[in-house]
Amino acid sequence: MNNMNSSNSQQQQQSSEARHDDDAVLTEFLASLMDYTPTIPDELVEHYLAKSGFQCPDVRLVRLVAVATQKFVADVATDALQQCKARPAPVVKDKRDKQQKEKRLVLTMEDLSKALSEYGVNMKHQEYFADSPSTGMDPASREE
Amino acid sequence: MEVGRVEDCMKKVGHDGTRKSRASGDEFARAIGKIAVAQMCESVGFQSFQQSALEKLTDVTTWYIWNIGKAAQLYANLAGRMEGNVFDVIQGLEELSLPKGFAGASDVDHCLASSGIVREIVQYIGDADDIPFAYSIPPFSVARERKLAPSFSQIGNDGRADLNADKIESVRQHQKMDVSYMNFPQQVNGNGSEGPSSVTFGDGRATQRTVSNPFLAAPLHFGVKEVSHVVPPVKLSDEAAVRYPVEQNHNLDNNMSVMETFAPAIEAMKSRLCDSEVGQKKLLFNQRPAVHFKIGIGKNYPGWSS
Repeated sequence: MNNMNSSNSQQQQQSSEARHDDDAVLTEFLASLMDYTPTIPDELVEHYLAKSGFQCPDVRLVRLVAVATQKFVADVATDALQQCKARPAPVVKDKRDKQQKEKRLVLTMEDLSKALSEYGVNMKHQEYFADSPSTGMDPASREE
Repeated sequence: MEVGRVEDCMKKVGHDGTRKSRASGDEFARAIGKIAVAQMCESVGFQSFQQSALEKLTDVTTWYIWNIGKAAQLYANLAGRMEGNVFDVIQGLEELSLPKGFAGASDVDHCLASSGIVREIVQYIGDADDIPFAYSIPPFSVARERKLAPSFSQIGNDGRADLNADKIESVRQHQKMDVSYMNFPQQVNGNGSEGPSSVTFGDGRATQRTVSNPFLAAPLHFGVKEVSHVVPPVKLSDEAAVRYPVEQNHNLDNNMSVMETFAPAIEAMKSRLCDSEVGQKKLLFNQRPAVHFKIGIGKNYPGWSS
């Protein structure tokens, strides 16, 4: 009986210590959030949070959401950059040998849609816009 | 296909109001979002972007923020709270990160403070550079003072006085109307009985309520209050109906006064009443003067051109 009680009390102590550790981690984490200035301004995040109905007077929570969103956008942009780099470079003339491998990194809709599909956002972009239904058709079959 | 640089994006922000197909009220927030996203893309390594690609990424960003707020508010409400706390936000982040996945996602009972999401964010903060927003913006959401409804514990501690105070205040607002109601029983009562205010429950608050609202007063017993007797219309008496059934219809069609049609019936009743043995009730007929109603348009109005 005594052994059981002592082991139970030990477990309780350990769990309470674990809880204290977690609380400490969380407190440190929230404190570190205030040191970091996210690129997304607090006012913008507060605006959209208020739009969705989330009420929180705590600035640290707003910072948490801002940092999380920044991380999300950075991940998406990194994936799009890798898609852009992975595409084989266009063939250039011999005169520009030195600049052959240098490619201008442009954020395109193709790379963005491929990167976002991993995150569950399915995007389909119109490739071109036509003036009339017969644009691009065979001239012989056009009715004019 | 327009290719723009980050610096161009910042210059073009002011001219973004041309597109009116989207929500026009959100243009300012969208413009700021575009600048922030462009800054982030530049920090990642992009040198330029397609305009449509940047707008799409901005849309996704605002959608992400909006969804975090929605999920966090949902978890707060599930826990029975109005305001969200850090655990609601972490749960919301976990929900949104499930498609991509994070460490420990399959662990159902894990503590939220040691969630994989938190660790990833801490790691990101440590690695990423601190890039502040390019402009300083004012707080553009109008901050109103929120009046939170008093919780049950607050009401319980102050006792019922607060509740009654609210009721009495709302009742006092209608007192202007109630004053006119209060005057009526005093006018009708020639005997001097006070009417509804005489009813007491032994409780000061109750009397205050009953005095102000006569409709909530207890019903009176018979004989407490003197009221005028109800005069049954002549039509209801059987003899009048038997004698003059057709005449009534004719006279009404000819636009004669209503009392003139009933005049013969009333005279007949009066003649009978004098002989009858019925008491006080029917003597009122003789005491009241006949009222003549005139149906028609008066011709004596000034300024009325005939």
